[in-house]
Amino acid sequence: MGKLPSTLLRRPSLAGYLPSTTPALPHTPTAAGIRLPTSQTSTTTSAAGQVRHATFVPRSRRPYQFTQLVQLSDGSTFTVRTTSPLALYKSAKDSRNHILWQPTEKSLRNVEVDEAGKLAAFRERYGSSWDLDGPAAPAAAAAGAAAPAAAAPVAADGSKESGEKGAAAVGKKGAEEKGDKKKVDAKDAKPAAAAQAPAEAAAPAEDPFDSLVDLISTYATEDKNIKGGLSAKDQARKEKKKK
Amino acid sequence: MASLRGLSRPARSLPLSQLSRQTCTAGSIRCASSEAGLTDLEDSTLTAPQLSHEEKKEFRPWKRAADRKVALPSGRYQYHPPKYNRGPLHPVQSPPSSDPIARDFVPGPFNLPRLKQTYQSTIASDIMTLAYTHVPPGTPKKETPERLRGWDGSSPYHKNRALRGPRGNPVLPLLERDVTFNNIPEIKEVTIATYVPDAIKEPDHLLVARSVLLSLTGTTPEITKTKSNVVQWGIKIGDRAGVKSTVYGNAAYEFLDRCVHLVFPRIKDWRGIRATTGDSSGNLSFGMSPDEVKLFPEVEANYWMYPAKMLPGCRVFIKTTATSDRQARLLLQSFGVPFYGEVRN
Repeated sequence: MGKLPSTLLRRPSLAGYLPSTTPALPHTPTAAGIRLPTSQTSTTTSAAGQVRHATFVPRSRRPYQFTQLVQLSDGSTFTVRTTSPLALYKSAKDSRNHILWQPTEKSLRNVEVDEAGKLAAFRERYGSSWDLDGPAAPAAAAAGAAAPAAAAPVAADGSKESGEKGAAAVGKKGAEEKGDKKKVDAKDAKPAAAAQAPAEAAAPAEDPFDSLVDLISTYATEDKNIKGGLSAKDQARKEKKKK
Repeated sequence: MASLRGLSRPARSLPLSQLSRQTCTAGSIRCASSEAGLTDLEDSTLTAPQLSHEEKKEFRPWKRAADRKVALPSGRYQYHPPKYNRGPLHPVQSPPSSDPIARDFVPGPFNLPRLKQTYQSTIASDIMTLAYTHVPPGTPKKETPERLRGWDGSSPYHKNRALRGPRGNPVLPLLERDVTFNNIPEIKEVTIATYVPDAIKEPDHLLVARSVLLSLTGTTPEITKTKSNVVQWGIKIGDRAGVKSTVYGNAAYEFLDRCVHLVFPRIKDWRGIRATTGDSSGNLSFGMSPDEVKLFPEVEANYWMYPAKMLPGCRVFIKTTATSDRQARLLLQSFGVPFYGEVRN
């Protein structure tokens, strides 16, 4: 640290007279024009051990930052300040094409692509792994019976018609009838709930059978992507759970 | 300048303004019609009277320079601000930090981050509207109950004694302030911290962590030290085993923007930030594994530069001006940060 400029120390008279006693002091106030401490001890301390409140002013260290143009996957661009030296950053996956940020975008849903209905036809014919165990034997039989009817249109037209004509026909009829019954039940239940209770109780018992057929049939009917198709991953997970 | 050199010596010593005045007067004499046009020029030198010969003789700047006792600062003279601040009463004062010559001057801002722009134009007013609760005018203000414990006065020494803190927890939690026009939560700063205990054995880890944080934030990171002794983990107090860096203002907004729109979507099977995060006073945090850190555009731009095994994970602390976690979560959700799981407070 270099020499500090100080009003008090710069005066040669004061520095020279410091060791001397009181006779020197009357001179200094007149010369300096400021009030000096009268006692000798305090004068010596201020001259010798001066407290300097000096704080270092650092030069800020700033790594270089580039201006980068970022292009999102939907084509929108904006500039950012970044340490990356690339002038243009094109992102392939970002919030514009991610299901978490775009929940209504159907094309981002994770579903199996089954346009020709082949996977559905296979499942229709042989069933999925999860209906192997369990009391689904009649369902499988029903599906098997319907299979020949379904097989021909699958090749020609595709999934939709095949579903309508095929296994769906078997399953859905039952379901519709059931649904009608339920509606009637619901209407009747209001006036006389107690009388219809057994009929209501019977309906859920048969439900798993019907719903399973329904489930299988939906694969073939239309691309109900939202509920129907399971991705390979989900299916594997489901199978794992079963085991 | 060639014409100037051709002039006689006394004429050369004249300042340029006087020379030009002379020539222009000659020009004005030549075309007197322009005299009328010059009148609307306010105190033009063109209309000033010509210098007499004596006046020209009197003008001797070289004489003045020779008579000068004190040397002028040289042509190379530059002002340098003092290296130290010595207090407000010191005769030598450093210039304010806004002065480009100041030692602590930081240039910028160079752009307006789009997240900040969105915040100012849309998000702030949306949050205020969403959090509005109508209080009919004239409703008495709800008084905040005294949360510090008093003294029962059983002893005469209880008089003027300071109140005690709450039981159990010495820290008094923040009271949530309502969101109003002058209290809309915003991002204060973002701190990114890395803990690399491997750096105790091999200091290269620290270097890699430092360079990664530098590229992420664009600021020079700071090395942190271990706080506790754990023999099993081989750490002891004072080990240099971490790096942290804090960004404020625009840089904080840009970092968040990059996280939300470029990094989070690229993380595999990412569900969001856990909703239980937060210190119940409006500061939220989340962690990133090394695999997620390398998804940052800055890191992947020169990914080959970092040894793959030394790439650190990091923790990100988002500090907001909100006084409760739910307000902070509201702010981050409006920035597009998804949260999952159950909410704590």
